[in-house]
Amino acid sequence: MYAYILRRLLMLIPVLFGVSVVIFFTLRIIPGDVAQTILGTDATEEALAQLRKDFGLDRPVLEQYITWMSGVLVGDFGESMRTGREVLPDILSRFKITFELTMLSAILSWIIAIPLGIIAGIKRNTKTDFTVRIISLLGVSIPNFALATVLILVLALTFSYSPPVGYVGFFEDPIKNLQILLLPSIVLGTAMAGAVMRMTRSSILEILRQDFIRTIRAKGAKERLVIFNHALRNAMIPILTIIGMQIGVLLGGTVIIEQIFSLPGLGQLVLTSINQRDFTVIQGAILFIAFVFVLVNLLVDLLYSYLDPRITYK
Amino acid sequence: MFNRKGLLVSVLLLFVLVLAACTNVGGNDDSDSQNEGTEGEEAKETDAEQVLKIANDQEPAGLDPHKTPAHSSVRIYSQVYSGLVSFDENMEVVPDLAKEWNQPNDTTYVFTLREGVQFHNGNEVTAEDVKYSFERILAEETASHIASYFSNVESIEVVGDYEVQFNLSNPDATFLSNLTNASAAIVDQEVIEENGDLQQVAVGTGPFKFEEWVADSRVNLVKNENYFIDGQPKLDEVIYYTMKEESARLSAIRTGEVDLTTLTAQSAELISNEENIEVKDYQSLEYSYVGFNVNAEPLDDPKVRQALSLATNRQAITDIVWSGDAVVSGPVAPSMGDWAIDVESHELYQHDIEKAKSLLEEAGYADGFDITITTASTYADMVDTAQLLQQQWKEIGVNAEINQIEWGEYIDTWSNTSADVLIGRNGSGTDPDRSLNYFFNTEGSANVWGFSDSEFDSLVEEGKVTVDQEQRKEIYNKAQERLLELSPNLFLVSPMKYVAVRDSVVNFTPYPHDGGRHC
Repeated sequence: MYAYILRRLLMLIPVLFGVSVVIFFTLRIIPGDVAQTILGTDATEEALAQLRKDFGLDRPVLEQYITWMSGVLVGDFGESMRTGREVLPDILSRFKITFELTMLSAILSWIIAIPLGIIAGIKRNTKTDFTVRIISLLGVSIPNFALATVLILVLALTFSYSPPVGYVGFFEDPIKNLQILLLPSIVLGTAMAGAVMRMTRSSILEILRQDFIRTIRAKGAKERLVIFNHALRNAMIPILTIIGMQIGVLLGGTVIIEQIFSLPGLGQLVLTSINQRDFTVIQGAILFIAFVFVLVNLLVDLLYSYLDPRITYK
Repeated sequence: MFNRKGLLVSVLLLFVLVLAACTNVGGNDDSDSQNEGTEGEEAKETDAEQVLKIANDQEPAGLDPHKTPAHSSVRIYSQVYSGLVSFDENMEVVPDLAKEWNQPNDTTYVFTLREGVQFHNGNEVTAEDVKYSFERILAEETASHIASYFSNVESIEVVGDYEVQFNLSNPDATFLSNLTNASAAIVDQEVIEENGDLQQVAVGTGPFKFEEWVADSRVNLVKNENYFIDGQPKLDEVIYYTMKEESARLSAIRTGEVDLTTLTAQSAELISNEENIEVKDYQSLEYSYVGFNVNAEPLDDPKVRQALSLATNRQAITDIVWSGDAVVSGPVAPSMGDWAIDVESHELYQHDIEKAKSLLEEAGYADGFDITITTASTYADMVDTAQLLQQQWKEIGVNAEINQIEWGEYIDTWSNTSADVLIGRNGSGTDPDRSLNYFFNTEGSANVWGFSDSEFDSLVEEGKVTVDQEQRKEIYNKAQERLLELSPNLFLVSPMKYVAVRDSVVNFTPYPHDGGRHC
């Protein structure tokens, strides 16, 4: 198993290399000039040329790539062309926020989705089941930007409430931090919950039909035991797959939700830097997101073998 | 056999450790509190700590006044830095760091600085700092966006500790008003040498000191107790929050989380009945335009461009794109006051389909033609304008296709003139020289349209060196007429801007001259 993990980690190298090549060269093909974007309409040709030179954009593309890569290999992602800030610390501080938002949303969605999904699975085709199914369908189908905007407006207009402005970290002011993250977590959690609920229900249904469940029941095991110790554990694999994918995607930044709730997360960083053609930040952020995505996948695969000992990795 | 649970726990632990490491590096956003700011803001009613919270739609791009033209940055660094002179609300040049100035001859300006003014780090401001600041602007390696404003400056001499002389290569009527630009800020050499540049730090002489910038979240400025104007600023702190989403800004001002925010026309209407909130509007210095590549057929014929102007219904653009709150504009926005000519009655501003058709016929396009209108998808008003023009021009047989592109590509398209018809918005600057010479002179650095007319060129070149205001006005009137006649751009409308203000804020009046200080 250790060998397996090591192999998976080694696989990161070609993946990240591929990502870095694709993003680096794509950025240099698409139209858009960072110097003009920064200096605006007032700049002279000389000023533009000087800025491009400062960023090394006047050198051959391959040379630019090698320079950038040799920095990345020793942990130096360079400086933002636009703000002059160091790229890596910037990415990490944004990731902190995105990570917290993702985890809160995920936990919120599990609290709602897994119990409801189980109940719906057990009480198949009853009123309860239909209610749960409708709720989950709503969760999946309401676009989250719409839910977010409606939530903001309804709270402001009817309860004169709006979340505190200006992001603060959890360790600076936990209460304010949670207040700020509550609404976006509810919005993201609702969408996640919809999908997880549906998967839990169908997965439980399928397991409950299997022979080993009948055998356990025939042995006279309590229903609670049947569901939680046997059915749920076996049903978790497909649920976990969905959850893993959801988390992986969210950790890459939730552009719209971060924007609506003014959260300085990874999504906003990527969007702004793309708009500004801030190459160093885009490159660094994409590489980082790819890295996190691969790690999350690895983690999910390892969890499979924990849940189902029949799955082993060599 | 290995302990699967133990392994899992250790992997999880590793993950957490990696995150914790991230957190430590990432938590490194303490600000340099050594910086200082410029001016004061509106006063609030209470005697307690007076904090003004402002919601902005854009994140500052950087704080270096010599390198960052973005408005989101200007509104912040203009509070932190001072220039030699500034504008009052009537756009008259008034003293700032310079208490007085004189002009021994047409090409020489001598400024006398206030004595004893300190940068926020305690260093005194002397003539050397002024010389250093302008030499930095002019130095090629700075790549300053405002170098083009001072290309006339030949040399800067330190005459005394508090006296500095600018020698120009030729008379320049725009020199003083260019000095009011927030980017012509006086900076401290020591700070630049310490930090490389001023993108992340800000040490000026303005009413507010820079305290902290948390990326994509907020910028804090605090009162400069030693500000050189007594009794100012009245506010103790100003916080700018970045809130890109309009609905979030609306809800924050409704609930009092912020005191002040900018709004679109649509939201201004929504919020106008709200108690405790006042919506203030002012005429912006911007106008929307249709830019033509005047070297591309059929737009190389002035008659075609005139026909398009006549086919354009500017009133409909005002009503539909700007909810009725915009005024028609020529190449100099109406909020520039006397400098702008009255375009409303101009013959090319009348919506006259018949005349447009006959002009097209004269130009040899009786059946119209096909064209592509390029616009930035980023700005809804530009897209709406493009759609209206598409409908309006159809009436004279011009079939337009709309091409929406993303902002980075749009800027590229603008600077390379790679679109035949481009929708955009221009700032009028603070002097007609900017809106005319710079955008439309054959040599103008922002003349991307390929436009070249010797009569127009000689007018704006004369305007730049004519110091007599009345004469200057006359010259620019002629230049504007000439420009309308040749229509290298169609100038459309100048929109209103809106600010929503809580009633806790008193004495706040927005001015079109952007970057106004909160005193």
